[in-house]
Amino acid sequence: MLNSRWKPYFVRARDSLKQFVYGLTGYEFARHALEMRREMESVFVVLTMGDLVGVPILPPIYTLRLLPYLVPEVAAWKRQMARRKEFWEREEFDLHGI
Amino acid sequence: MNSLLAVILGGLTVYLAYTCYARRIDRNVIQSDPKRATPATLYMDGVDFMPTNRNILFGYHFKSIAAAGPIVGAIVAATLWGWLPALIWLVVGVSFMGWVSDYSAIVLSVRNEGNSLSAVAHRLISPRTRTVLFLFIFFYLLLIAGAFVGIMASVLESQPRTHLGMILMVVMGLLLGQMLYRWRIGLLGATIVTVGITLLAILTGPLTESSFNGLNEALNGITGGAPIVTYFDPTLAGFKGAEAKIMPSLLFWAIAICIFCYAGSVLPIWRMAQPVVYVGFWVTAMAMILGLTGAAVGTFVKPDVAQFQIPAFKGWNPQLGPAGIMPLWPMLFVTIACGAISGWHALFGAVGTARQIENEADMLPVGAGSMFAEFLLGLLALLAVSVGAKGSPVAAFANGLGGFISVWGVPIEYASSLAFAAFIVIVLVVTQLIFRVMRVTLTEWLGEVIPPFRNQHVASFISVVLAILLVMTGTWIYLWQLFGAANQLMAALSLLLVTIWLASVGKDWLYAGLPMIFMYVTTVGSILVTAYNLYFNVYQPNILAGRLLPAVGSGLMVLVSVLLVIVAVLIGFDGWRAFLKYLGRSSAPAPGAAPARG
Repeated sequence: MLNSRWKPYFVRARDSLKQFVYGLTGYEFARHALEMRREMESVFVVLTMGDLVGVPILPPIYTLRLLPYLVPEVAAWKRQMARRKEFWEREEFDLHGI
Repeated sequence: MNSLLAVILGGLTVYLAYTCYARRIDRNVIQSDPKRATPATLYMDGVDFMPTNRNILFGYHFKSIAAAGPIVGAIVAATLWGWLPALIWLVVGVSFMGWVSDYSAIVLSVRNEGNSLSAVAHRLISPRTRTVLFLFIFFYLLLIAGAFVGIMASVLESQPRTHLGMILMVVMGLLLGQMLYRWRIGLLGATIVTVGITLLAILTGPLTESSFNGLNEALNGITGGAPIVTYFDPTLAGFKGAEAKIMPSLLFWAIAICIFCYAGSVLPIWRMAQPVVYVGFWVTAMAMILGLTGAAVGTFVKPDVAQFQIPAFKGWNPQLGPAGIMPLWPMLFVTIACGAISGWHALFGAVGTARQIENEADMLPVGAGSMFAEFLLGLLALLAVSVGAKGSPVAAFANGLGGFISVWGVPIEYASSLAFAAFIVIVLVVTQLIFRVMRVTLTEWLGEVIPPFRNQHVASFISVVLAILLVMTGTWIYLWQLFGAANQLMAALSLLLVTIWLASVGKDWLYAGLPMIFMYVTTVGSILVTAYNLYFNVYQPNILAGRLLPAVGSGLMVLVSVLLVIVAVLIGFDGWRAFLKYLGRSSAPAPGAAPARG
């Protein structure tokens, strides 16, 4: 049994180690999954953009069902679209050091 | 000297440099403020700009910067000059320059709205700096691709016990991608299956050695044991220079590597490149952790594997080939790049990590901490090659690392197999990513002018052919040093940018300016020495013997050297003018940064 005085330090060290290992291993997959989702969401935002600005493109019933999910994403989407990326950022990769 | 003393020295270096120097700079010069909003919090978009916990980011950044660089560099340097100069440069480099470069690039980006180095260069120095940087990156990648393909082909040809492990690693990588992204299997389960099978294949490699040896012999039998190409290689026969032969088996493995890299370049990243890197990471991590801990306790448990075998110092200017010169300054400082200081870290840190910094107080542990961790990787490589001693530099490294791993009870034959595999894996996975970036760079560079370059297959094929051409010169040490020079030049340029930015905001710029001057002068000097070596040691002997292919390859490398010097002079000149401009009005702020324009 750990002394109660040392327990918080132990718990903190264990959590930090877990986070470090996650950063080494799973974090990249999670980021890539987010990127894939963003690509998909961009398509939906474009599809519903007509209704947002008052020019319907899809049958309104579908866009109206999508709108509640997409409105919170519009601000982030605008930032993504407005940001010009470097050529080495356009594809999802990094060089893992060299 | 033994490995325990070196490990203690490494630990002390990290502790003292971090607490006594890095923290002081962070507190007094940069004045990081936990209350100041970072680009990740200001421009959060859920993917690129995303506030992330510092421990996660530390792991992510370390994995992104740590690869073959610290390992290959330490091996070559210890072989050329002995272990002592290599150790001193690793310790001094990381303490006064390495962490400065990594940390400052992140600070620069965080304090400039998440902009990349080239975007900051465009704003602070001049528009042409960005264009020059763009051209520079392509040649930088070409050099490292040539160096890595060359070294890997020769290791694979000479080590048949590693073949099964490498083949299965690629297959398991493909399977992992399928399991994660298509079958939606959890990461833990998929990791256990794929990494477990790969490790098993690597460890049982010695059992399959005779089969793959037979394959090599059969391939060489196609030409009746005659070489395909013969060339003069100044690095052979104990660096005295001798005739080298490219056998069919070597060509076979070089082509196999290129096919692998080609696939990694054109397939979607989730399908091959990313999962193969992941599987390879576990193999390498396991070997490195077992090796580093083995190096520490080996002195007590198995003293024979922990004693240094190679000389501490081999001379100021070892002879390499009949006409070659290899002066310790400047060549040592570009031969060991990543373990001491590296430009790529700065490039990646500015666009990848800086945009995820949640809090300014995280910049130091993430940026400097990762660089110190990379230093330990370089130190391990140096220890392994220093105790290994026998055979080629790579074989010495693998034998040394195998010895450390054997401390934990793994039979030496299997431990060496794991060490060889770890070396190949770490180089192989990086090489496929390099070809991927080369393809994108080539498309971006020439796609507008020559439309066929927009086709990913054309761009990938040309990248592979150019790299193979460099490999055929047969002088991977020069390729490595030229790459090291390009990498260190990138570090000098990032430090130059940091210096100019510090001057523009009225902060003390000396902590970045002094390493910048040293790296700038050293890099330009090393490129000139390498160009001299290439011309007199490789180009001339081969052209006199009427061997066109190695002569064209070495001629291309001399041309790249000249281009690198021109790039350095151009950016240095523009940087100096910008520095003087800002120094003159150091109290006035620099022009405002636009939010994250690339």
